Amino acid sequence: MSDLAAIKGTPEYPHPLESQVNLVGNVWRRFLRHKGAIGGLVVFGLLIALTVLAFVSPYSPTASNLPERFEGPSTAHWFGTDALGIDLLTRILYGGRISLAVGGIAVAISLLIGVPIGAIAGYYGGKLDSILMRITDAFLSLPPFLVLILLAAILREVDIPLFQRSSVFTISFVIGILSWMTFSRLVRAAFLTLREMDYVNAARALGASDLRIILGHILPNAVGPVIVEATLQLGYAIIQEAGLSFLGFGIQPPTPSWGNLLSDAQEHFIKYPWLAVFPGIMIFLSIISVNYIGDGLRDAFDPYKMLEKVGEYT
Amino acid sequence: MTTYIARRLVQTVVLLFLLSIILFALVNLAPGGPLSAYGQGRRLRPEQAEILKRQFGLDKPLPLQYVSWLIGNDWTRVDTNGDGVADASGSRLGILRGDFGFSYRTRKPVLDEIGQRFPNTIYLMSITMGLALLIAIPIGILSAVKQYSVFDFIATTFSFAGQAIPEFWLGLLLIIIFYVWLRNPFTGEPLLPPGQMSGDNPSLMDSISHLILPVLTGALGWVAWYSRFIRSSMLEILPLDYLRTARAKGASERMVVYKHALRNALIPIVTLVALDLPYIFTGAVLIETIFAWPGMGRLYYQAAVERDYPLLMAVLIIGAAFIILSNLLADVLYAMLDPRVRYSE
Amino acid sequence: MSKNFRTLALLTLTSVTILSLIGCQAAPSTAPAANPSDEKSITILVGEDPPSFNPMVADTGYDALVMELVLLGMTDIDPNGTVFPELAAELPTVDSGGVVLDEAAGTMSVTWKMRQDVQWQDGQSVTADDVLFTWNAIQDPNTGSWIPGIDSIDSVEKVDQYTFKVNYSAIYPGYLTQFGGEQLAIWPAHYCDASQGFVAWDCGRKPLSDGPFVLQDWVEGDHMTFLKNDKYYVAGKPEIEKVTVQVVPDDSVRKTMMQQGDADIDMWINVNTINDLKDSQVAKVSLSPSDRFVMRLFMNEAEKGTVDAEATPHPILSDVRVRQAIRQAIDVDTINNEIFLGLGHPQWTEFFRPPYNKCDVPRPAYDPEAAKALLEEAGWTDTNNDGVRECHGCASAEEGYEMHMEFITYAEYGEPLELTQQLIAEMLGKVGIKLDLTVVEGSVLWADAQSGGIEQSGNFDIDIWDDGYAGVDPTDYIWENYSIEAATPGFGWNLARWKNDEFNSLIEDSYTLDEASRQETFCKMAKILDEQAPEIMLFTVPNADAHSSRLEGVQSTVNDLVTWNIADWKIK
Repeated sequence: MSDLAAIKGTPEYPHPLESQVNLVGNVWRRFLRHKGAIGGLVVFGLLIALTVLAFVSPYSPTASNLPERFEGPSTAHWFGTDALGIDLLTRILYGGRISLAVGGIAVAISLLIGVPIGAIAGYYGGKLDSILMRITDAFLSLPPFLVLILLAAILREVDIPLFQRSSVFTISFVIGILSWMTFSRLVRAAFLTLREMDYVNAARALGASDLRIILGHILPNAVGPVIVEATLQLGYAIIQEAGLSFLGFGIQPPTPSWGNLLSDAQEHFIKYPWLAVFPGIMIFLSIISVNYIGDGLRDAFDPYKMLEKVGEYT
Repeated sequence: MTTYIARRLVQTVVLLFLLSIILFALVNLAPGGPLSAYGQGRRLRPEQAEILKRQFGLDKPLPLQYVSWLIGNDWTRVDTNGDGVADASGSRLGILRGDFGFSYRTRKPVLDEIGQRFPNTIYLMSITMGLALLIAIPIGILSAVKQYSVFDFIATTFSFAGQAIPEFWLGLLLIIIFYVWLRNPFTGEPLLPPGQMSGDNPSLMDSISHLILPVLTGALGWVAWYSRFIRSSMLEILPLDYLRTARAKGASERMVVYKHALRNALIPIVTLVALDLPYIFTGAVLIETIFAWPGMGRLYYQAAVERDYPLLMAVLIIGAAFIILSNLLADVLYAMLDPRVRYSE
Repeated sequence: MSKNFRTLALLTLTSVTILSLIGCQAAPSTAPAANPSDEKSITILVGEDPPSFNPMVADTGYDALVMELVLLGMTDIDPNGTVFPELAAELPTVDSGGVVLDEAAGTMSVTWKMRQDVQWQDGQSVTADDVLFTWNAIQDPNTGSWIPGIDSIDSVEKVDQYTFKVNYSAIYPGYLTQFGGEQLAIWPAHYCDASQGFVAWDCGRKPLSDGPFVLQDWVEGDHMTFLKNDKYYVAGKPEIEKVTVQVVPDDSVRKTMMQQGDADIDMWINVNTINDLKDSQVAKVSLSPSDRFVMRLFMNEAEKGTVDAEATPHPILSDVRVRQAIRQAIDVDTINNEIFLGLGHPQWTEFFRPPYNKCDVPRPAYDPEAAKALLEEAGWTDTNNDGVRECHGCASAEEGYEMHMEFITYAEYGEPLELTQQLIAEMLGKVGIKLDLTVVEGSVLWADAQSGGIEQSGNFDIDIWDDGYAGVDPTDYIWENYSIEAATPGFGWNLARWKNDEFNSLIEDSYTLDEASRQETFCKMAKILDEQAPEIMLFTVPNADAHSSRLEGVQSTVNDLVTWNIADWKIK
């Protein structure tokens, strides 16, 4: 919700001489010790598998079947049917693809913007750093949900290439463009420390290009907190999409998403509760499992418990 | 320190200036201009739309519109009756002189509109966040002290759950439980009202009963957020040397936790609360919608839907100012509280 | 020690600040959550604040709802479509001598006699001066507004204190509701500030009442309270003493409050709510006895993003055979029966409302096979077998152009309309027309062209919403929707940009007071509309309001807001 990384100063980093292979191995071993994280991984993996396997369902996710509107859960329709008589389970499975895609694309956009900005600012420092950081500050100063509403409202009513009204990409973009700042701060903080390290100086002396140093030598050591943050933001993006749907700015039916299934259900909450309960459970499970994975990763990446704060605060 | 604050304030002004340009462009790019509120457009004839545009100054190029929004237009002549001839001095003072203009929807000064909703939002949000802190602090401490215990696991799960439930869904669920299903055993009336601000001359009980559902719905996410935060603050401090010293000197573990560790763990919490202060201004759109709370979030949402530019801009800019100043406040508080931090010039 | 002290001091300071903020608000500036169990007080739920008491400004419905509580017009229309006098002492007609026609010149004049017993809440009489004042404010070219037929009025003159005369430059059949109806009220000359302009004046938000209630308090975003107007001209009315208009934005919460007996009116409920309240003990549903709003498809005959159907015809929709095929491919009965619970009525002509419902236009059959055949004939075939037709020898698209369009509707109507949109897309998909669905805010869909309104700037292919004319006279509505002038690029009220010379001259013919001739003209129009299908009419939507069972006299109407007869409501 807020950003404290700047206040907390720069954390210390594991010694860079620890080889990458070992690092990955160690992280994985430590991750496996975190029971919650394993549980999260299993649940989340299951969710992804289910959405990938959505096509196995004998029902169509969009073809209406009006004689069977609003049927409760049964052996034919495990999760019941919706307002058009479509099998809710099928819609939830296909909706999962969309929701997870929104999360994934939003995080990818965040990463694509935030990581380069942070890396360049941290590596080069000076004027470039202060300009990039002022831009980051500016974005951090925008009231988050208010600007999200504004952007979603604007983008759903313009019709330009790439940003089709209410498309998955448009929604993901809106969420992503407002959440990259944490990445740029995390990466910058790491770069500020690491760029003066001996091994970086050595690489520089050997004539390695800036790009090579940034990508090959520094970035890998800053990857831990970035991954942790990315998992958290994945969950955050799914919730955001649901909130936007409730306000009418989300993914447009008949394309299902967990968010629009949930907000469409609110009108029938009392009469046909399964419509609200099942998509709610899916959102709940996906976010809680993602959070546990993030928690486990944080512990795993940080044997000295020093990086924890960075991930936590941002 | 003073120099530091002064420099930050200057940066703030520059930052706000840049933000205002971006936001102004963004808001004005949106299709469906403010005139859409007039006769839903269908009734608005092209020549009338022209006149209204001139009256609102919307016929001017965007940079000029920005200038009169920023510093006013009393230095130039404007077209008050929309006949295409600039016939009178402008009357707008611009936001720099405290004039945020008039809402297109209600024709009232924007600051009056905000002034009406702002107290309602403070009322709801400060209680929500205050309550969240009261609950989160003990949870956070306990789960840190008993790290990896069952309690810690439950608290962790609970706090993840708090972040995993969409607010509007939880809000409706609570309304169904406490307003539809559960009844007051004595009067037979619904146990709790579905939000809304309370009635004429509300009794304390009445005010509280109206607050319970929106506060609960809102607080859940905050409890989750703060308790996680406090847990990790405590975890960071517990193994530190001076606590070891205190323990070595024979202080009880309870003493160590509450006297030494907690005080230091609270430092980042104070700054965190300072960082979250802007929410007291911007409110929570979803909760205000579900619980019919006349706060800032809904005011903004309606302005966004209806393209009420002056109101949108005012909420965004004041909101941004709140965020920037809260950040500054957090930094200053942190510097004051933690002697390890020194801001160099 | 000093550091700890500072921590504590700061914490204390912070909490004191927060607490004092709370303290300031302990008695928030609110609200009679009017206890509806009160004998003489009722609560009306609305989704949002009215912008003002003047529906001529924004037309949100909420403004008209509260206007009915405090302001009167010359006339109003009852649920059956009959015009009745409010401020008028009687309805002026040709027979009564109130209307004088000059057939030769093609002009007319109408003399209105007003009631002499109506007072503003401050005791001043409502007179012809107020009417003239209102008229002058409306017709002010710079600060005014627009009412139907405004161009046909030459002048309005005062005859005496309670009589005024309207001189028309043409024959204007809709004269009876021109100074009344659901939108226009007469405003107090001695109270409103004309210099602020009709749409902006302060009295639009702080009205002086001559209606059954007086505005007492308005807490924005929360509620408004109204008290009975002791000076209301009908003796013994209203019976209700206090009305609270409570803002509850979420419609399922509004519905729940009705089910819990915590509110007395929920206006404009949709079919889901009608269905949910069906078996309620404490809430009832009132349906309008007549229909007005027809769910209909608007099809842009100019290419998406353009406004001139002749210069840039729509590649798909400019061909009348395509429009007819679309009409044949939509199963209106299924949508009406399943989604609208059979409460709507299939309609296929503009002229379905009395008294002009006498034209013989056969109902178009639902026949997807015929639709497919028609599309084939029009040169739209699916040669690559992807389920979507392409142009192979069609009239106005390039060879190979896909039959793929955007289909828009507005968000505020809620789920039934969105389901309708989805079903129509599915039905058209089955005959090979692919539609991408979009839902937008009404304020953007209907905004004027210059503000980037989607419809008026031509930025759409097909959209669907519920439209219909106010009152009893279709003439102006027909002109707005189908005339050539209304299709000019700057105008854009004729959303289809459909132009038909024969139809246009029929519109001119319809501006007459000769009812027999009008009837005949309208039937000729109906025939052309049926053949050309510039808009596809589907079914009327039920117009309904929910009310508590304790409230008697509530009658939903398509001609006005539910509060049209609030002075007559009684509490059991």
